[in-house]
Amino acid sequence: MDLLAVRNLHVGFRINDAFYDAVDGVSFTLKNNEILAIVGESGCGKSTLATSIIGLHHGRNVRVTGEILYGERNLLELSEEEMDHIRGAEIAMIFQDPLSALNPLMRIGDQIEEALTYHTELSKVEREERVLQLLKQVGIHRPEQTARQFPHQLSGGMRQRVMIAIAISCKPKIIIADEPTTALDVTIQAQILDLLKELQKETGAGIILITHDLGVVAEMADRVMVMYAGEIIEEAPVQKLFSNPRHPYTRLLFHSMPQLHSTKKRLHVIEGIVPSLINLPRSGCRFSHRIPWIPKEAHEEQPKFHKISKDHFVKCTCWKYFRFRDEKGEAD
Amino acid sequence: MQVVDLKVHYPIRGGFFNSVIDWVYAVDGIDMEFEQGKTYGLVGESGCGKSTTGKALIGLEKITSGKILFEGEDVTKDRKSRTSHFHREVQMIFQDSHSSLNPRKRIADILAEPIRNFLHLPPREEMKKIDELLEIVGMPADSKEKYPHEFSGGQKQRINIARALATNPKLIIADEPVSALDLSVQAQVLNFMKDVQKEFGLTYLFISHDLGVVKHMCDYIYIMYKGRFVECGTKEDIYENPKHLYTKRLLSSIPASTPVGREKRKSARQAFEKVYEKHIHKAFDENGRVYDLIPLSDTHYVSASSKKEIV
Repeated sequence: MDLLAVRNLHVGFRINDAFYDAVDGVSFTLKNNEILAIVGESGCGKSTLATSIIGLHHGRNVRVTGEILYGERNLLELSEEEMDHIRGAEIAMIFQDPLSALNPLMRIGDQIEEALTYHTELSKVEREERVLQLLKQVGIHRPEQTARQFPHQLSGGMRQRVMIAIAISCKPKIIIADEPTTALDVTIQAQILDLLKELQKETGAGIILITHDLGVVAEMADRVMVMYAGEIIEEAPVQKLFSNPRHPYTRLLFHSMPQLHSTKKRLHVIEGIVPSLINLPRSGCRFSHRIPWIPKEAHEEQPKFHKISKDHFVKCTCWKYFRFRDEKGEAD
Repeated sequence: MQVVDLKVHYPIRGGFFNSVIDWVYAVDGIDMEFEQGKTYGLVGESGCGKSTTGKALIGLEKITSGKILFEGEDVTKDRKSRTSHFHREVQMIFQDSHSSLNPRKRIADILAEPIRNFLHLPPREEMKKIDELLEIVGMPADSKEKYPHEFSGGQKQRINIARALATNPKLIIADEPVSALDLSVQAQVLNFMKDVQKEFGLTYLFISHDLGVVKHMCDYIYIMYKGRFVECGTKEDIYENPKHLYTKRLLSSIPASTPVGREKRKSARQAFEKVYEKHIHKAFDENGRVYDLIPLSDTHYVSASSKKEIV
């Protein structure tokens, strides 16, 4: 049984009286105990996808269609009140910037307690005990002292630990982590990632990890989805994706990463830029204009998500014909 | 350029009459040397003083004590005056490409500013120079009439580089120039920085916390911790033969580029973290200051209390 199943999800924003889909027909599933990474450049729709799962899009200027199945229920059909009971309790989110996600006027202890007050029946004393226990669980050495402090008194790594404590306070089944370590130093990043992984082992929650950092993916993920211009263009288990990337975009992305163990003089550059939401080509392969040396016939007219081995999926057929191009513009 | 025993201390004020009650030792006695045409890396975690060092060098930060020598001359005082020779030769690129461009000025005016300040060219030649600059950074000529918000992050960073190049400087201080950019754009900007370096014989001081990028770019690397250098050496010294505990910790926490063997890496990392916590106090003297550097070879220096302590 899947923990979460997203089917044909579209999230569109209104720009000048027309809707443009930032997430365009995304389908995937998340299992218990799994870390699913979503990778992509800024503007590819990965954060929009995350916020649509916990229902943060409403109003006239957003249009969300498709299905987000959590158990028996479609999250998109729930009322705001029903959603309030799921958000934070069963599906929790960790944001990128802990300083702006925490309330600067509230003590750390009170902020963690807030979630418990709303979602559980615990008494005041029990809640306070649980807060200290949570702070200890996320590796804060003096929980009593930290609980009385304000966000500005903590370091970036400590704040992110507090965010994680809030996220796991109600033992959620799904944790969505949107770039949880982007704002942190490498040493702290390693600690936070290890912590997330341990907590997941203890609680058995499913984690959706959103990031642009392939190093983080390599350390954390079980399964990876690569997003480009609102679509998922490749999906595979992490080992397979790193040893055998197939889609041109994924391959180019790996190619442009500065490697610790290589002495290559120049980095590979992906030509062109990600098209903006309005200028996005809505038919054909969306990546085609960034690999102009690949003949047009290589792309499908209506690209489908092809299964190329047991658990490896790739969009469009252009991967079969793809070759890197060197500096002089010749294919090698 | 040479930096001798640079110190930047901030006063903490409080108590009666707002008197100075303590000091923050942001940068506490560092020595650096830059040679023409090389790239120098300055690495450390946030708050270690690496940006302060960059700003102090170019004159955006008051220096408490120490000397900055540029081509044999003492420029420590000169850095303040806007029209000094020093400012022509040393330029800076900032991390946030967007907020370092004036949103109300067109690209032509942004690029013209350093030219007007230092070169005093007639208008026609000024325009020619701007066209040249845009060509160097690979931007279309019509971007002159546009405003900063019309460009993507990578393009804006290239405009910043163009502005830094306008006065034909010798040294460019780049404070985290690519940390805000996507991987593919980052590759673009880094390649491009290498190209202009070759063309103009530039020297870079590359301030970053990303050890992968630093390894790709730099010839010589300084590792900074709590306002002091704990280790410096060539790229090979640092990456293949790190000596200081802190350097080793930094290197161990870089995520690898393959999922193979990640469990093993994780347990190694956690075991190392325990060693680090147990032994890091040895890196400081009784005043909580990191020890002075001791030479290991001609290029490789490590901070330690005595040579015996280095393992």
